[in-house]
Amino acid sequence: MIDTAWLAGHLDAILFRTVQHLYLTAITVAVGFAISFGLAVWAVRRRNAYGPIVAVTGLLYTIPSLALFPLFIPVTGLTDLTAVIPLVLYSLLIFVRNIVAGLDAVPRDVLEAADGTGYSPGTRFWRVEVPLALPLIVAGIRLAAVSTIGLVTITGILGDRFGGLGFFIFEGRRHDFFTTEILVGGLASILLAVVVDLVLVRLQRRLTPWATARSVASPTSATA
Amino acid sequence: MSTAERVVFEQASKRYPGTGAGNPGAVEDLSLEVPAGKICVLVGPSGCGKTTSLKMVNRLIEPTSGRILIGDTDVARRDVIELRRSIGYVIQQVGLFPHQTVGENVATVPRLLGWEPARRRARAEELLDLVGLDPSRYAARYPAALSGGERQRVGVARAIAADPPVLLMDEPFGAVDPIVRERLQNELLRLQENLAKTIIFVTHDIDEAIKMGDLVAVMQVGGHLAQFGPPDEILSNPASDFVARFVGADRGLKRLSLSRVADLELRRPAAVRLGADAAVARRALEGDPPRYVLLLDEADRPLGWVAEGAIPGDGALLDEELAVPASPLLDSRTTLKDALSMLLDADVQVGLVVDRKGALQGMVTADSIAEFMRDGSRASDQERRATPAAAPRGEAAP
Repeated sequence: MIDTAWLAGHLDAILFRTVQHLYLTAITVAVGFAISFGLAVWAVRRRNAYGPIVAVTGLLYTIPSLALFPLFIPVTGLTDLTAVIPLVLYSLLIFVRNIVAGLDAVPRDVLEAADGTGYSPGTRFWRVEVPLALPLIVAGIRLAAVSTIGLVTITGILGDRFGGLGFFIFEGRRHDFFTTEILVGGLASILLAVVVDLVLVRLQRRLTPWATARSVASPTSATA
Repeated sequence: MSTAERVVFEQASKRYPGTGAGNPGAVEDLSLEVPAGKICVLVGPSGCGKTTSLKMVNRLIEPTSGRILIGDTDVARRDVIELRRSIGYVIQQVGLFPHQTVGENVATVPRLLGWEPARRRARAEELLDLVGLDPSRYAARYPAALSGGERQRVGVARAIAADPPVLLMDEPFGAVDPIVRERLQNELLRLQENLAKTIIFVTHDIDEAIKMGDLVAVMQVGGHLAQFGPPDEILSNPASDFVARFVGADRGLKRLSLSRVADLELRRPAAVRLGADAAVARRALEGDPPRYVLLLDEADRPLGWVAEGAIPGDGALLDEELAVPASPLLDSRTTLKDALSMLLDADVQVGLVVDRKGALQGMVTADSIAEFMRDGSRASDQERRATPAAAPRGEAAP
């Protein structure tokens, strides 16, 4: 089923596309997280903002990716931005919901103790609330990363410059459904998602040694 | 090294908008003074405003009117963050920081105050020791690995870490089982003997209030102060029907637990030493209603009672065979409640008070307890907490 000769001849291309895949994913997660963190803090501070924020990010999540990716070509041309903007928009819902859930999960008595012992609001936020929200925040990062890795393959419809490992899937279609290319694109992308997820699990254990016994929920269940 | 400052409520009120007087959590015109170094317990049914009153001290709740002084300074004039760092705060759910080790939790306020790490660590270890947790075993643990009682100890250690003059405790022992609660109460009283902090302590449990308080403030729904005074005064002279109902129909028995045998004026039973002549025993009973004489050994330790009829003829010597050991032994630290309970349980309704070596100091009867309660003459709270006054020593047996 797999043409090893093709594989041997294309190792360079596979490596290049893997790096591209990771690059698009990393930018998306970084930018998406930064925007979502701001939105989540706003939602936690002003409860009535939470509904609209989730409604809008949820609506974005429902837009078919095949339609959204080409949408920005007239504005941003065939640049990385054209791929990254939709990827970021898709990540917002996952991030916002997890960060809000994380901040909400900080026990009230802990907050009261922090206030009572003389934490200033800023110190309380960065030294108590954020650390205690980390398990759910990192769970959000894991979900967003895995979901973004899947979506990056679809950026291949923007042309050969894009797509990460998805490039091979589109190539395979063009070459009369050449199975090797389609499988390499698909399997490598899955492998990438698994590896990234495992790395993030490791990271979370390092960051939250106090929570090792606790299970981490993944509160989002929306689908594209 | 410890400091304490008085806490004064001056017509402090907290009203919540929307509802009239009597809404839960409101406080109406609260005026009271807690002298430096004393424990004041705010007690009352839920919704009486006791927790609101407590939180007005460290300004987690700001009063609608009136003011609260620590020392001579209105707390409203102080920087709120600095104020809270200077007040120890203990809550029922403890609120330890789960992401910090026990040592880091204890050093919270020192860290906020910018102490050097080495000094913080040394202080945390000192405090863990003080509350009975071995620092080498506990300092590096996370709170999730502690029992409820251990967590509460860490909570107390955290509250006193920066040696604050005032300590606020909001139902601190409400979430632990009765056995642990009693132990924690006793430990806090023991700590307080050295710390001498001004402590404001909130509870809904009148027994806890009586046990812990130098002063007790009974509050009733609507945030009114129903009565304020030493526990004995609350129990012996309830200011209103509400207070009488709140302290319970058994307030007489509760008062018993406030006093100890040391507070009584002990009477001497008729007593003779082992080996004394029977004539001495007979003389000891002369003109006295008791028909029994107490037999003591050479170190004055009670051996038992000898009935008048069992005293042999003059010239014979008293020996141990004649004595019936039937009285409960008490010491000066025994509460009158426990003493009375032991008397009711025993065959002979006379309790013998002995010192640490077991030597006789005197006797207690149900009558002498009743008489003491009637007179209401008892050592002040302060003296009760300190080492017991030396019990009157009876003259040595012949």
